[in-house]
Amino acid sequence: MFSRRIDKSPYGYLFIAPFFLVFFIFDLGPILYSFYLSFTDWSGFNTPTFIGLANYERLLQDTLFFKSIYNTLIIWILSIIPQLTIALTLALILHEKFIRGKHLFHAIFYFPNMVTPVTMGVLFALMFDWQNGSMNKLLMALGIVEDPVYWFNSPFLSQLIVASILMWQWFGFNMLVFLAGLQSIPEDLYEAAEIDGANKFQTAIKITLPLLRPVLIFTMITSVIGGMQIFDQPLMIGKGPENSTLTMVMHLYEAAFVRYEYGYGAAIAYGIFVLIAIATAFSMWMTKLKEKKEG
Amino acid sequence: MKDYSISTGNTKTVSQLDAETKRKNRNSLLIKIFIWIMLILAAGICLLPFYSMLITSTHTNADITRKLLLLPGDHFIENYKRLVEVVPIWRGFLNSLIITCSATAIGLYFSALSGYGFSKFDFKFNGPLFAFVLATMMIPGQLGIIGFFKLMNMFGLINTYWPLIVPAANNAFGLFFLKQVADSAVPKEMLESGRIDGCNELQIFHRIALPLMTPAIATLGIFLFIGKWNEFLQPMIILFDNSLQPLPVMIASVRNQFSVDYGAQYVGIAISIVPILIVFALASKKIIGNVMAGALKQ
Amino acid sequence: MNKKNLLFTMLVFIFAIGTLVGCSGGEETSGGSDQELNNENMKPEDFKGELDIWTFFGGVEGMAKSFEEKYPNVTVNVEVFPGDQYQTKLMTAIQSRTDVPDIFDLERSYMGRFINQEFVANLSEMGKIEDRVENYVPYVKSLGEGKDGNVKAVSDHSSPGAFWYHRDLAKKYLGTDDPEKVSEMVSSWDKVIELGQKVYEESGGKVHLLSHYGDVFNVEKQHQEKWIQNGKLVIDPAWKDIFMDMKQIREKNVDAKLPYFSGGWGDALNEGGVIMFAMPAWGGFMVNNDGGQAKGKYGLAKTPSGYYEGGTFRAIYEGSDNKELAYEFIRYISGEEWQTKNLEETGNMPALKSVYEKKLDTYTHEFFGDQKILKQYYELVQDIPPHEAGEDQNAISTLFYDAASAAIDNGESYEQALERFKKLVSNGYPELEIE
Repeated sequence: MFSRRIDKSPYGYLFIAPFFLVFFIFDLGPILYSFYLSFTDWSGFNTPTFIGLANYERLLQDTLFFKSIYNTLIIWILSIIPQLTIALTLALILHEKFIRGKHLFHAIFYFPNMVTPVTMGVLFALMFDWQNGSMNKLLMALGIVEDPVYWFNSPFLSQLIVASILMWQWFGFNMLVFLAGLQSIPEDLYEAAEIDGANKFQTAIKITLPLLRPVLIFTMITSVIGGMQIFDQPLMIGKGPENSTLTMVMHLYEAAFVRYEYGYGAAIAYGIFVLIAIATAFSMWMTKLKEKKEG
Repeated sequence: MKDYSISTGNTKTVSQLDAETKRKNRNSLLIKIFIWIMLILAAGICLLPFYSMLITSTHTNADITRKLLLLPGDHFIENYKRLVEVVPIWRGFLNSLIITCSATAIGLYFSALSGYGFSKFDFKFNGPLFAFVLATMMIPGQLGIIGFFKLMNMFGLINTYWPLIVPAANNAFGLFFLKQVADSAVPKEMLESGRIDGCNELQIFHRIALPLMTPAIATLGIFLFIGKWNEFLQPMIILFDNSLQPLPVMIASVRNQFSVDYGAQYVGIAISIVPILIVFALASKKIIGNVMAGALKQ
Repeated sequence: MNKKNLLFTMLVFIFAIGTLVGCSGGEETSGGSDQELNNENMKPEDFKGELDIWTFFGGVEGMAKSFEEKYPNVTVNVEVFPGDQYQTKLMTAIQSRTDVPDIFDLERSYMGRFINQEFVANLSEMGKIEDRVENYVPYVKSLGEGKDGNVKAVSDHSSPGAFWYHRDLAKKYLGTDDPEKVSEMVSSWDKVIELGQKVYEESGGKVHLLSHYGDVFNVEKQHQEKWIQNGKLVIDPAWKDIFMDMKQIREKNVDAKLPYFSGGWGDALNEGGVIMFAMPAWGGFMVNNDGGQAKGKYGLAKTPSGYYEGGTFRAIYEGSDNKELAYEFIRYISGEEWQTKNLEETGNMPALKSVYEKKLDTYTHEFFGDQKILKQYYELVQDIPPHEAGEDQNAISTLFYDAASAAIDNGESYEQALERFKKLVSNGYPELEIE
């Protein structure tokens, strides 16, 4: 018989070749080149001159860099806790059968996620403006405050505002992710629980949450990676009082594309990379550890 | 509930039972009403900023500065005129559409191509290469940004759309997503029959695999589209000419150039939001369904 | 495949570094740069060709038009890149040495980084431009000079700042709207503070004399010793006075807490609530003059010190093959003819002293009624100490202001402000010696 199949496997290389080609030119090339630049002094006019580890030494002494790490973390924590809490609560409520018009609520809560982050940043900057912002006007009209609050004069309030942009933008997305998770939990589990006489609260704690755990973990990890890179919204708000809303990527942007210290900017990029790698590894290790504990 | 029913035993009369269910119903009705109010309140808070933005964009700067604005005014056209005199915002819209559509198309096609490649061909190093692709997902986007800028400048690609569109072909998430899809949605037998019919491998991909993967490609398309539409840092450093810049970069420049003119700023962001709102209103079921479907696959 | 990929990566990398090394050809000076042009003896009709200009300022288009009118055989192509992108755009073009225009504009805040580079043509060698700028307001002249004292960039205007005040409010709260008298009432910051308290009390807190304490910084920031001397950070004691004045202004309710060029500031400038605003001569576009409502609305009073803000300078690209024409353009804008026209048509203050002097008794601007505003501006503009453009001076001054305003807003002392300031400087300038 001549039906011996010709091995078609090598064709696979052709199928994946464009992907890798583009990766090497537009991704890996720039990354390696950035690595080289991080050892140079380059202001844009001169040719980059090799200066060894000087940029990294500077990075370790740059209090603003450490401040930006701290800011990023604070903003992330301030946004992630309420964001996930609200998302989970809403998901649990909207999963209930008696709610009518579910789709409308999905749409309303998800909509902020569709809006461009830059636009969100500008909108919040305008809303929380000290003298002209609608937020102060509203608070004063409701009699909550007497004088306008100078939001962007307080480091904490500024961070809170940036965090609330992120929260507002992402809670709807996370809610949908949780809802998708909830829908994948089989109905009969709940029915069984109901027969056993468990109330709503008990089923939520005993059944829903444990089964949602993979989804929660996934959300946490992606939000760590995303949260470390916040840039668009705080850039529109500005650096904030005492640089309190200067995030890591903003620091990189300012060094490279505002002050034209490209070499130092490249060093900051690698600093950020190391931090994100550590944060990701840490959050993965945490979840693994927990899984082991719970068998 | 259980304990209670046991303790009362069979002494419970019909009327007692009735009263109990009534109370229970009343309680749960109260809870339901409470939940409803909370939900509507949350939805209201969620939409309030957009409402305030639309209202404010129709007032004069003097009113914006001095008053709490709750009702529409009549200065939208004036604010709009000041804005478009300086910033070609509709041009930005068009640019965004051009960049986003071409990048999404390229991203989808090549993600499908390479995902299919990984799924259906058992070449040497398939496993390690795929692991490598997954690993690249962990690289933050800003790592190579300075080198990217400098290299594109050397290639003479700065101030063009190429550096924004072509790299879309290299989307690790898309590849990963569509490989899984190809694994489950494209049966090997169909490919074999295609081969027997004398199609070459690329034709098989185009005629058999691609149609089978279409629903998933649409899902991925929404993710890629939103991601590209919102991209800011890269176009900001790559494009200089105002007439080339996409919407987010223009919004940022509205903020810089109209630092004092709040009316114009509000109009700018309103213009950037309203078309999205319309598209979303028309296709929200589809978009939300896709987001949820995509979320599960992740 | 794997090997191939690796090879390709290496190729990209090697290529990258190769191109980089290839870029270093910048050291060669393009020939013929020291031959003097003969523009002075040519007629406008003799000039032919096209000129490319890049700018961030839309007004250059009018300038080009005016040039084309006088030079019938010349076409000027102006490309305007508004916003922050301009500087990067210019730098990348120069780095790759492609599509660089014959003339490019530089803003005062960053021109110091550019004018000492070898790609900026030396105007002193090209003609008698030095005779022209000799007659310039001193600060405009020295900003355009490179480290070697040669003229590298030329501006066609000066941008002095002064107090713009609402005439009606001045009459009501200061008792007069006469520019001389008002100038006298605010001739020192101590007087400003005293007067401001009075205004605050008399108006029941509704009206403030100033918009923001930042005015003190803006007005005074050119009058100190340089920050960097011999690699050391030097803090002129005069900064302490500035800080104390700013602090008192805030504490004694002299200012309305409306930051310079913010929305509330723009509103107050047009609608009132604040009496006077320290702002530059080119700030008129902030005034809403629909239907001529701003006619005669303002008076111009002298600030305690002379100061300027911003400024656009023009330089010629060393690699341009159109230098003769480019130089002629620079010559044109540095002359009386254009600067007089510019003053009359756009209200931009001239750079030539002779234009100031000729127009001193006749020039008026509609916002200021029949006040002869050149008088105030001319006195102020000559009070500005000449200094080189420098790379760091302005940036460090801004850091000082950031630190000072953070300290004031938090009710801190000057020592605490200095601590903040030194921290900011050491981050931005790690090589600098700081006590």
